[in-house]
Amino acid sequence: MSAQLWVSVVQIGCFFGLVALGYYLVLEGADFFNFALGPFAMFSGLTASWLMAKQGWPLGLAAVLGIAIAAVLAVVTEVALVRPIDARTGGGELPSLIAVVAVLFAVEQLAGTLFGRQLMPGRSWLPGTSLDLGFVTVDGQTIVLVAATIVSFTGVWLWMRKSKYGRILRAVGSNREAARTLGMPVGRVRLVAFALAGLVVGLAGQLFSAKAGVSFQSGFGWALSGFLALVIGGTGSVWAPLAGGLLLALAQTLVPYYLGSASLDYAVLAVAILFFALRPSGLFVRRVRV
Amino acid sequence: MSALPLQKAVGSVRSAESARILGTLVLTVAVIGWAGADLFRQDLALLGATYALLALGMYMPFNLAGALSLAYSAYVAIGGYSVGLVATKTGWPLPVAYLLGALASAALAVVLGFATRRLSGFYLAAVTLLFGMAFQSFLLDAKDVTGGAVGIGSIRPLTFFGSELDRQTFIALTLLIVWIVGVAVDRVRRSPFGVALQSSRDVPAAVEAAGVGVPALRLTVLGAGAAIASLGGGLFTTANQTIGPDTFTLHLVMLAIFMPLLGGQGSAWGAVLGAVLVVELTFNLQIFERSGSLIFGVAVLAVLLIAPGGIIGYAGQGARWLRGAATRTRGARR
Repeated sequence: MSAQLWVSVVQIGCFFGLVALGYYLVLEGADFFNFALGPFAMFSGLTASWLMAKQGWPLGLAAVLGIAIAAVLAVVTEVALVRPIDARTGGGELPSLIAVVAVLFAVEQLAGTLFGRQLMPGRSWLPGTSLDLGFVTVDGQTIVLVAATIVSFTGVWLWMRKSKYGRILRAVGSNREAARTLGMPVGRVRLVAFALAGLVVGLAGQLFSAKAGVSFQSGFGWALSGFLALVIGGTGSVWAPLAGGLLLALAQTLVPYYLGSASLDYAVLAVAILFFALRPSGLFVRRVRV
Repeated sequence: MSALPLQKAVGSVRSAESARILGTLVLTVAVIGWAGADLFRQDLALLGATYALLALGMYMPFNLAGALSLAYSAYVAIGGYSVGLVATKTGWPLPVAYLLGALASAALAVVLGFATRRLSGFYLAAVTLLFGMAFQSFLLDAKDVTGGAVGIGSIRPLTFFGSELDRQTFIALTLLIVWIVGVAVDRVRRSPFGVALQSSRDVPAAVEAAGVGVPALRLTVLGAGAAIASLGGGLFTTANQTIGPDTFTLHLVMLAIFMPLLGGQGSAWGAVLGAVLVVELTFNLQIFERSGSLIFGVAVLAVLLIAPGGIIGYAGQGARWLRGAATRTRGARR
């Protein structure tokens, strides 16, 4: 396998890791998988691409607006949909699942209606730059993506250790009822978790669509990949989603390389079934000493 | 003394049941008449019938038993490819293909259901979705069987006692089959089996304790649902005389989850109504930039928030309220 493929493993892995980090935050705060995060990332990327290509906006402004929209979508999903439906149905898993799938579908169609249904090509953030490491060349966009991934993960890690809301989020994640009994603002923390997840996947969508392009249907596949990355990594630590993302990216690059492109979907299915059957909580599990 | 009101109650249930059956039959015949010889309307009716069979297939496992399996695009495709293969590679009559497709997809659904029997909710949804994706790449990959990206074309039409059925008659027949399946599924919902199924969603432990095996119950309806969905794929393929990997995409499954929600989960006819609305919104009504799907998505969200009973549930509430209001006025006059 050529060294250049490893660059793409790192790049895709960082992207999957960021989406999985979004899943992780919502999972800690609200105990469910927000599949709509994939389409939020898509919406963020597509908004920025459209603003730059069709309206002539500068990159920085378009990117900030795209990320902000992803966060707003995440907050609206929680406030207007997940919370009322949870309250009505008593917090069952199936109604929330249906609700987020409906959001996924609606956001996808909204993007298709607003921005058109064709692929928007990516535009690198650092077009002139590339890093020559001797055995491999890393392009500018990959550098930005890796740097942003490290910054995001470090930021979330610090936030969950040092800040008030981050610490409450960890408490809620490990035992919701106890946290509620202790008088912690569980609802507000949930909202913060949703918003933060929206910001993270919004950024991820920006950076990845600048490299690979984005269309209104990209979010569906991204949602599944991020979910799988989290399943592989587990929720034992903030860094687990990144490990899962890199492993998934490695599998997605190696399997087609050695076994042909059609085998990819079989391999992904096999990995998923294996993990669900053998290690449903992922590779990195938080162990509590008793 | 107390037997009389009971009898009356049973009588009224029976008449409501027959009213429902007759009413839906009248509607079905009306749709057949509306489609007529118009080719575009025939296409819409055919698509609606296929969607309705898909939604009816998902109704028992998903809406009644609460198991969200998303592999249905594969089952519909199996029904379609079964028709394609039987028509091009054998001389067997086409109804054999419907049977084979139904058996194959039911068997696959049972195997997949068994492999995922410990999963629920998000995990089940994800694995079955991945299965659907893997099946789609299988359709593209296994060129010898499925014809790869091209698919299978020039499928012969259905013959009936030696004479070929024209498209109009065949679509009328398809709509009648939808009606029959709708009646059957709605009766299953009201049968003791259906009650056990719905209880297994809400209180599985109690159903187990009553001596009904919940896993076997689930596998049964997963298989039956897959068979119904594959029948839809088979009929669609027969009418269009071609099938390819793009005929039934993963996207279809998402539509199928929402059809019963929009129409109303309280009755199997909600699934059919939802299918009709989806076809109307996404194909017939094109206001602006193919925004029908967006309207559909927003409508689903609105139904989830405001009217969890769906349209039929809402209409039923309205009818009960009207009837109540009428009784109240009569009572006041007396």
